[in-house]
Amino acid sequence: MDTSRSPLEPSGFSRKLAATIIIVYMVVTLIPITWIVATSFKSVDSAISYPPEVFFEPSLEGYVNLFTNRSRQPKEYLDSLPPPETWYEELVRSREMVITGPSKFIGRYSNSLIIGFGATFLSVFLGALAAYAFSRFKVPLKDDLMFFILSTRMFPPIAVAVPIFIMYRKLGLGDTHLGMIILYTVVNLSLAVWLLKGFMDEIPKEYEEAAMIDGYSRMQAFFKVVLPQAMTGIAATAIFCMIFSWNEYAFAVLLTQFNAQTAPPFIPTIIGEGGLDWPAIGAGTTLFLIPVMIFTVVLRKHLLRGITFGAVRK
Amino acid sequence: MATVELQGVTKIFDKTVKALDQISFTVQNGKFFVLLGPTGAGKTTTLRAIAGLEKIDHGKILFDEEDVTTAQPAARDTAFVFQQYSLYPHYKVYDNLAFPLRSPLRKVPEQEINSKVTKIAEMLKISSKLNNKATELSGGEMQRVAIGRALVREPNIYLMDEPLSSLDAKLRESLRVELKNIQLNLGATILYVTHDQAEATTMADQIGVLENGKIAQIGSPEEIYNNPNSIYVANRLGSPKINIVKNSVLSSIISTNAYQLGLRPEHIKLGQGDLSASVKTVEALGAETVVELEYNGIEMLCLYQGSFDGQRGDNIKFAIDQSKVLFFNEDGNKIL
Ligand SMILES: Nc1ncnc2c1ncn2[C@@H]1O[C@H](COP(=O)(O)OP(=O)(O)OP(=O)(O)O)[C@@H](O)[C@H]1O
Ligand SMILES: [Mg+2]
Repeated sequence: MDTSRSPLEPSGFSRKLAATIIIVYMVVTLIPITWIVATSFKSVDSAISYPPEVFFEPSLEGYVNLFTNRSRQPKEYLDSLPPPETWYEELVRSREMVITGPSKFIGRYSNSLIIGFGATFLSVFLGALAAYAFSRFKVPLKDDLMFFILSTRMFPPIAVAVPIFIMYRKLGLGDTHLGMIILYTVVNLSLAVWLLKGFMDEIPKEYEEAAMIDGYSRMQAFFKVVLPQAMTGIAATAIFCMIFSWNEYAFAVLLTQFNAQTAPPFIPTIIGEGGLDWPAIGAGTTLFLIPVMIFTVVLRKHLLRGITFGAVRK
Repeated sequence: MATVELQGVTKIFDKTVKALDQISFTVQNGKFFVLLGPTGAGKTTTLRAIAGLEKIDHGKILFDEEDVTTAQPAARDTAFVFQQYSLYPHYKVYDNLAFPLRSPLRKVPEQEINSKVTKIAEMLKISSKLNNKATELSGGEMQRVAIGRALVREPNIYLMDEPLSSLDAKLRESLRVELKNIQLNLGATILYVTHDQAEATTMADQIGVLENGKIAQIGSPEEIYNNPNSIYVANRLGSPKINIVKNSVLSSIISTNAYQLGLRPEHIKLGQGDLSASVKTVEALGAETVVELEYNGIEMLCLYQGSFDGQRGDNIKFAIDQSKVLFFNEDGNKIL
């Protein structure tokens, strides 16, 4: 079988070596995630038992606790209630509690979605326009401007937390979705411009020129011809921007409390009786991982396909 | 289709590189005009200026006497077949061909688009490839799709930048004939760039020879061939190449004060006359034979009709058709 391999392909040995390294790396990175997912399916007691339980009886208590507020009630009161109607009411009842209402998790989670996707879309869109302009037009002081854009990332964004905090309060942007979208867009934009400019530079200008001769304006040519060919770059940029906005913690703690609070500052504060409710935190974290995972898998196809060489004659 | 006129068009790149220098010529409506010149002469730049992709520094461009010098590319309504990067890689062949017709400026109904695309695809023999991605084509097929994308429209002028250069000799020849037929049938105005003299002579109504961003000569293929006004132009047409010799070499038979003479290979008659030379090489091309002679210490190429039975070292008689000799001065310009 090995005889049919082209000289450009790696040998069997290097393939195996690569696979081993990847598997080791995967195990190392996956252990904490596996532990979190496992914790989300434990009961409160087994989550904090010592030594830690590797095998346990799965329970959805963490998820129920994540989505509900509950209060402990005396046995007599519980007995006086009509029998529980749903499986989760029954689960809560068996812990001698009643559900008093939904928790804030869904709200925080949708804030994360709105802010994460909003900021990602805006960063990529504005970044693509700026990158195209820098790539194609004679912009005065082009190199200096590009350096300035990059320099905004030469210190950690949190270093300017205090001025931003004051500014946001004065502008009324504190604890608003718009404020967080703007903030994350600003932080991501320099990365987006730099990444996308590299990709745009790779696209021959003949494509837009052909489109413009064929009767399209420059803007139409940009959307019809340039953007589809920059898909690889756009996908990569979008994933980076999404991961940042989705995971951002420090500014979210500082600038949001009620209205626009995202999931990261909310999840670790889920308090159960007598301390943190670890299964609920595990459940929140597990659910929190899912959107970025889906997003990355969906865009991965564009990443892998690479830039389309071949329709060009050199 | 329109008559396209350039008046003193000058293009300077980066303030120093004069790519086009006072270019003036007219492509008459319905004519096939070929721009001929070696690499770097400014052929592509000329086409780009006409299409509106390069702003020109001086001069005017007129379409049917209307000044379009500052008009946007889309407004000029030209069709361009690029030297490279011909197709949109993210579209299928069909959509590549339909792309110009779907422009918001034209708004052609899909039904009409369909019939036009089908027709052009048949003409260029790519019907079976319509559903291929643009990347799933051979170089020759890509080139035909690129030509097709221009031909689906009826623009003011077709601008073609060496469209056949990536094809093999046979396909190039058949497409050359095809393209000329299409042009005659449609009455299309075409400005065609090439450095292949066979393409120039077989297709052109008019040839413009470019030299370093300047027009060296404009004329019909016959005029350019028989009456070139410089050695540079004489060298552009004719295969094998014209022989350029110092006047002293032929002083025994031609008395002239011209500094150098141009002799086309077919005007040197072998086996007749009373000049004598030795054969250096013999290259049989089938119906004709290229024979290299050494005479008076210089080499000359002659074209012999039929197969030549002689070999290296033979002595042979030859004559020169004196009425066809071209005379040039020291700078290589023609004198009468
Ligand atoms: N964008 C540009 N910037 C600077 N110089 C340029 C640019 N485009 C062309 N030139 C120069 O202008 C001159 C003419 O170039 P052009 O592309 O028109 O040549 P061409 O006749 O089409 O050659 P080829 O047969 O190789 O395609 C060349 O010297 C080239 O280096
Ligand atoms: Mg060129």
